[in-house]
Amino acid sequence: MGVKSVEHIDRLYWLGRYSERVYTTIKLYGKRFDSMIEEDAEGYEEFCQSLEIPNIYTSVEDFREKYPFGRDDPNSIYSNLMRAYDNAIELREEIGSETLAYVQMAVYELNKAAISDAPMIEFQNILDDTLAFWGIVDDQIEDEETRNIIKLGKRVERIDLYGRLRVDRASMRREVHRINGRIDRSGLRYNKQALARINELIEEEDLNYPEIVREIEKILEV
Amino acid sequence: MEVRERIDLLERADIVNSLLARYGVKFGIYKNNTFHEQLFPFDPIPRVIGKEEFAYLEKGLKQRVQALNLFLKDIYNEKKILKDKIVPEEFIYASSGYLAQCEGIVPSKGVFSHISGIDLVLGKDGVWYILEDNLRVPSGASYPMIARELCRRSSPKTFQSVSVADNRSYAELLKKTLDYVNTGGLTVVLTPGRYNAAYFEHSYLAEKMKVPLVSSHDLITENDKLYFVDYSGKKEQVGAVYRRISDEYLDPMNFNHESVIGVPHIFDIYRKGNVAIVNAPGNGVADDKGIYYFVPKMIRYYLGEEPILHNAPTYLPYYEEDMTYVLENFDKLVLKDVAEAGGYGVVFGNSMSSKQKEDFLVLLKREPRRFIAQEVIDFCDLPIQEKGEQFERKADLRAFVLSSDEPVVWKSGLTRFSRNPDSFIVNSSQGGGFKDTWVLNQ
Repeated sequence: MGVKSVEHIDRLYWLGRYSERVYTTIKLYGKRFDSMIEEDAEGYEEFCQSLEIPNIYTSVEDFREKYPFGRDDPNSIYSNLMRAYDNAIELREEIGSETLAYVQMAVYELNKAAISDAPMIEFQNILDDTLAFWGIVDDQIEDEETRNIIKLGKRVERIDLYGRLRVDRASMRREVHRINGRIDRSGLRYNKQALARINELIEEEDLNYPEIVREIEKILEV
Repeated sequence: MEVRERIDLLERADIVNSLLARYGVKFGIYKNNTFHEQLFPFDPIPRVIGKEEFAYLEKGLKQRVQALNLFLKDIYNEKKILKDKIVPEEFIYASSGYLAQCEGIVPSKGVFSHISGIDLVLGKDGVWYILEDNLRVPSGASYPMIARELCRRSSPKTFQSVSVADNRSYAELLKKTLDYVNTGGLTVVLTPGRYNAAYFEHSYLAEKMKVPLVSSHDLITENDKLYFVDYSGKKEQVGAVYRRISDEYLDPMNFNHESVIGVPHIFDIYRKGNVAIVNAPGNGVADDKGIYYFVPKMIRYYLGEEPILHNAPTYLPYYEEDMTYVLENFDKLVLKDVAEAGGYGVVFGNSMSSKQKEDFLVLLKREPRRFIAQEVIDFCDLPIQEKGEQFERKADLRAFVLSSDEPVVWKSGLTRFSRNPDSFIVNSSQGGGFKDTWVLNQ
């Protein structure tokens, strides 16, 4: 298509970020949910701390209900998915109806899970839709810049989440190497100093996670 | 159609509807000041129009749109039709669709109504009647386009056995129409945003035409030209704007000053001939419900021909003779407020309580120009399928006429039906559904 407005660029980037946030937080929530079945009843407090979201939950049951489905909770999976959807729906002519459909289907699946007796099992459909969304971004979006901006958003979000969750060094290094290969292809101006600093940080023996998070959050500040 | 293929099409209706949901085929509606997105229910039983019948409609629709285009050019320029007293002046200048700002303007290539949505019904007497003309921003073509795509997937044998004109070229036809009037530069679709009722259509048509979908803040005016500004600050001239914003909100410097969804000074650039605005501003004067009465007269006046398609018998209480008829036959008429659209402002004389009728008559006598009265057309029901059973429901047809070097009637259309067995109102905003419209090749 060739021409893109500032707003579309922003939406492409945040579509990438929010879809990744939905995917990773569903997986994290699944693990935490599992650990809270028999024990670790207070585990949600640590979960909130690691993601740096306010612990507004009054009990395990409240957390189980509100974190995935809370419509008024800005940090819920629902809110993040709706932000992905809000960006995607304004990008139909850019990403195509086929691509948009996977975000739309994830919304339907989350609404189904919200009224299900076994929501955890239903989440698999949302993960499948998100994976299919990533697949179709690669397969069907012809414009390389469009593709790469979405994927840049995804990579930035993943490094951000990995930093907050203190994932192992190997996983972090893999994600940073991926962003190194992606960022120039997005065509966006970015903070080269921040990227260089992240590359230094991942070479350190003990990763300085808070600094990695601070630097990745500055990546598009130029 | 063979029985097996007919069954395929009907049995797979749920799959088609679930695919329409998957692709976000929705329309927006405001209820209690809150925006809701709703699916537009699709019925798999198509409206079928034979080749000869369509040829007749095509001829009549082209004739009507040609006359309406000539009328618009005349009204904003020479005003011969007023001077010759074919249309009373007050019907022009009192119309909310008339824009004094458009006086003296002839748009690119002289086309005013590039995309005309003409609503028709087939009466039980076998006659097609025009219900209204939509010459501002008519919507609805995207729904049968995508439904056809999905029905072909769900029941390919149906389309092997029945030769139906392919309706999926609408986007190409639309692009050709826009390119024809483009004054040089990009073609864009201008949307007021995702909270507009027809946002799905804006984005879908932009996708299918492969043109940018833009909002007002993506466009700037500079040195009498319109530009799209990309993310790097680079400006690219725009030559045609398929705007899906009503006249009132198009340009805050020339129309509603409070509009935040318009492009300041776009109208000045249009006036200078440096950009095409599709459809042209000011077209509302020709699709006003009051002006509808005069369209057959326009056809005779401008084209010297007898109208091929009929208006529903219409009375203007503005004329004393018609007022007398309306008062005497009130219970068998439908009354329409000329300022309303979307099925609103329509009342049936026989459905009013005596108090409502009394109040209405006071209003009618006070503001006769505000209303038209029409005989209730007993139009054909079409079969619809619901939970495996078939029922008959009222349905209309919106035909699309695209005007570039010559008018072209799209070989399809949006058939809307009422889901309420007792209702004649088919609008999506009032709970109606839609069907595909098949035009047979033979």
